[in-house]
Amino acid sequence: MLTAKGKASLVPRQMLVFFVILFSFPFWSQSVGLYDYIGIEIAIWIIYGLGYNLLLGYTGLPSFGHGAFLGIGAYGYGLAHLNLGSGVWTGLIIAIAAASAAAALAACLLSHRRGIYFALLTIAIGQIFWFVSIKWHSLTGGEDGLLNILRPELNLGVTSISLKSNVALYYLVAILLAVVVLLLWRFLHSPFGSVIQTIRMNETRARFLGYRVWLIKWTVFTLSGAFAGLAGGLFCMTQESAYPDIMSLHASGLIVMMVLVGGGFVSFWGPVIGVVVFFMARDLLGSITETWLLWYGLLFMAVMVFEPEGVAGMWDRLTRRFFGQFPPAPDTKRSTQEELST
Amino acid sequence: MSFFVAENLHKRFGSQVVLEDISLAFEAGGVSGIMGPNGAGKSTCFNVLTGLYRPERGRVLFDGEDITGLAPSEISRKGISRSFQVMTLFDEFSALDNIMVALPAVRSGLGRAFWEMRADSALADQAEAVLAQVGLGGRERVLASALPYGERRALEIGVTLASEPRIVFLDEPTQGMGSDGRTLLVDLVQKLRTTYTLVIIEHNMQFLFQLADRISVIHWGQVIAEGTPSELNENEWVRSSELGKV
Amino acid sequence: MELLHGLLPHIVNGFALGVLFALIALGFTLIVGVMEVINLAHGSLFALGAYIALVVISPDPDILGAFADSYFSLPLVVRYALALLVAPLLVAAVGFGLEICLRRTYGKKKEYGLLLTFGAALVIEETIRLFWGPAEQSLQIPAQISGAFIAGDMIYSNYRVFAALFGICAIAVVWLFLDRTPYGSIIKAGAHDSEMVQALGINLPRLRLLVFGFGAGLAALAGIILTPIWGLRPHVGVDAVIPAFLIIVLGGIGSFWGAVAGGILVGLAVGITGAYATDWSILSMYLLLILVLTFRARGLFGKKTVLEQ
Repeated sequence: MLTAKGKASLVPRQMLVFFVILFSFPFWSQSVGLYDYIGIEIAIWIIYGLGYNLLLGYTGLPSFGHGAFLGIGAYGYGLAHLNLGSGVWTGLIIAIAAASAAAALAACLLSHRRGIYFALLTIAIGQIFWFVSIKWHSLTGGEDGLLNILRPELNLGVTSISLKSNVALYYLVAILLAVVVLLLWRFLHSPFGSVIQTIRMNETRARFLGYRVWLIKWTVFTLSGAFAGLAGGLFCMTQESAYPDIMSLHASGLIVMMVLVGGGFVSFWGPVIGVVVFFMARDLLGSITETWLLWYGLLFMAVMVFEPEGVAGMWDRLTRRFFGQFPPAPDTKRSTQEELST
Repeated sequence: MSFFVAENLHKRFGSQVVLEDISLAFEAGGVSGIMGPNGAGKSTCFNVLTGLYRPERGRVLFDGEDITGLAPSEISRKGISRSFQVMTLFDEFSALDNIMVALPAVRSGLGRAFWEMRADSALADQAEAVLAQVGLGGRERVLASALPYGERRALEIGVTLASEPRIVFLDEPTQGMGSDGRTLLVDLVQKLRTTYTLVIIEHNMQFLFQLADRISVIHWGQVIAEGTPSELNENEWVRSSELGKV
Repeated sequence: MELLHGLLPHIVNGFALGVLFALIALGFTLIVGVMEVINLAHGSLFALGAYIALVVISPDPDILGAFADSYFSLPLVVRYALALLVAPLLVAAVGFGLEICLRRTYGKKKEYGLLLTFGAALVIEETIRLFWGPAEQSLQIPAQISGAFIAGDMIYSNYRVFAALFGICAIAVVWLFLDRTPYGSIIKAGAHDSEMVQALGINLPRLRLLVFGFGAGLAALAGIILTPIWGLRPHVGVDAVIPAFLIIVLGGIGSFWGAVAGGILVGLAVGITGAYATDWSILSMYLLLILVLTFRARGLFGKKTVLEQ
């Protein structure tokens, strides 16, 4: 929360670095033993994670059922593709709309709550959506889900690019991710971004300052659902299928862990770091042992016990200790006294 | 009709009656005091007046309008602002940010504010002015949690003032302050009384007597005495009670 | 009359579910009361109990080696009873471990503890998946308590009746423990007001350890009895933690009879829903939770509880 006079940058240094890495990825991925597909997965989950952290890290609302909205986005895109023959944009718009609608509905039940009641309600809601997706065979294909969602063609007017190629799909996702990052950065550095944090810090006081807290919570929840929907739609596009498992509590838990390990509690970039760490763990650990998820879970527990501020928080402390003010720590929501009292 | 009126407030917690038929009136432009020993009901009264609790019976009227039972956010928007005894600052924010989120320009401009960048000069200027008003000029960028106690109290009052209220309720502002702090606070209130209507709840009689135009004494859930400081000095009960010990 | 008559077996089932839910909730509510931690891992401890029982009843012969023959010659009843004893104790030990992990989070924001138990739930579930695989398993139950009997032209499951009776006995034992033993009284007091207990000079860390282990053990016990009814899968834990939470919302935190009454209520609701739509009976718990939390702003007493900080 750096308040300086004059406008804070729309595209700060870290974001530029991120964009460079993001857009150059396919060129150097192979040389570090990675591949385009994982790049797509990471980018999609970063979209999901950034939207999710809006809710958890910034507003302080722990949702353990967010997989439902990822799933609804996926099913939305899949059904649009299968039944309406939708292309890329229509499909994604439907995915976002469906997920947002579901989130808005759920938010009506949730927005007057916080803390543990909120968390348990999200579990219940998530479970209900998961259950419905398994049982409503005619719509969702039951346990098997929707299949044969072929990669579409991206129609750019003058030309058409097949997204069957992972590189092409990667760039589409990367562009969308860049847009999401710019949007969210702007949003979270606006007065609204400060206000949602007051809800995390002291909801009662926020009320006494005149804020209609329930409405703000509703808005944030719906927004985070929208981002999950976008990620879900892209997910379905990439995997060429949609299935109930992504709505399970197990899967919903993954995004929570990713975001927090990365440092979602203290930094805008927490989810980015967290998603990357997760997929590295999956691929690197996964090649050594089948039980990698167990180790990741233990890592998460260790983080909660020893370093709840995650990687971003640790980085923050380390750079401060070794470099003083230089290089600047990743955008921490919480400024330190040293940084501020210059 | 007085500026702020409480009529026949009755408040119960479970089976315990805490406020019994309390009526109060505060005039615009003055400093009013609410005094009483701890556990007397003055905190509950305060909380009912400012919308934290809903009374079982009775009404609260502000500038002629019935505000009984309104949600805290609505009460705030009517121009009623309160400070908190157990300080509820946003610890992870700087002093400046604490003030900024209290500004009406931020509060009412939330929709538009989606797009404005927070570090908008005009907002920062307004917030700086408020900080200067409570003596925290130059401390803008310090984290609220890093401020010493006295400055936190000042910030608390600053946040209360930032929303440009029409009436300001201060909840035990001298709590935990040494005599230096109290002197500063007295000065501050004297400065503020020209712009705001203040209602101060306190158990420090000396402080209140210095500042208030009128004081209501609450004990056993009722208003047992009321008047100007000099009138109350004549009051037998007040003189002989614990409160009288200056 | 016809309707009620037809519902009788479901009511018995519901009651059986209810007392078992009460067992889960008892452990859960004591933990919340003493430690102010919502243990999201409670459900996985429940599941773990059942899986360990599986191992005790029919272990891998290779592990037993020379003893395999003599072990398997023991009647099923004996092995089953052994499981009922051993599994909760082992799970209690896991509970101890979890409490130790939680210690660092006590002073900090409430969310950290919650998230930690959430992580633990996933870790335990993943461990189960690792050792026992993701497929559905079944727990062997002794012939003496399986099968069915007929009473007044309705068919009742022996096992459900056993489950109900076992549950009642277990609850009675817990009551005796809490009410009549010194340790129990301390736990009861602690669940009511942990600060006061500390002021009385009682070793709070040890109390917390004990309570967590005790709660875990109860969950495990409930798990062993309940899984033949519900099925045994790695993620059955979620379905156990939701009623526990629902019950403490209904019955109040740290309240023995609140947990029992709430448990029976929820169990009956689920059991009777099961009469009409078996698939949806578990879902009814989730819907019930949403309903209760939407319309009931606070727990039974209207005070702010630790749930709301």
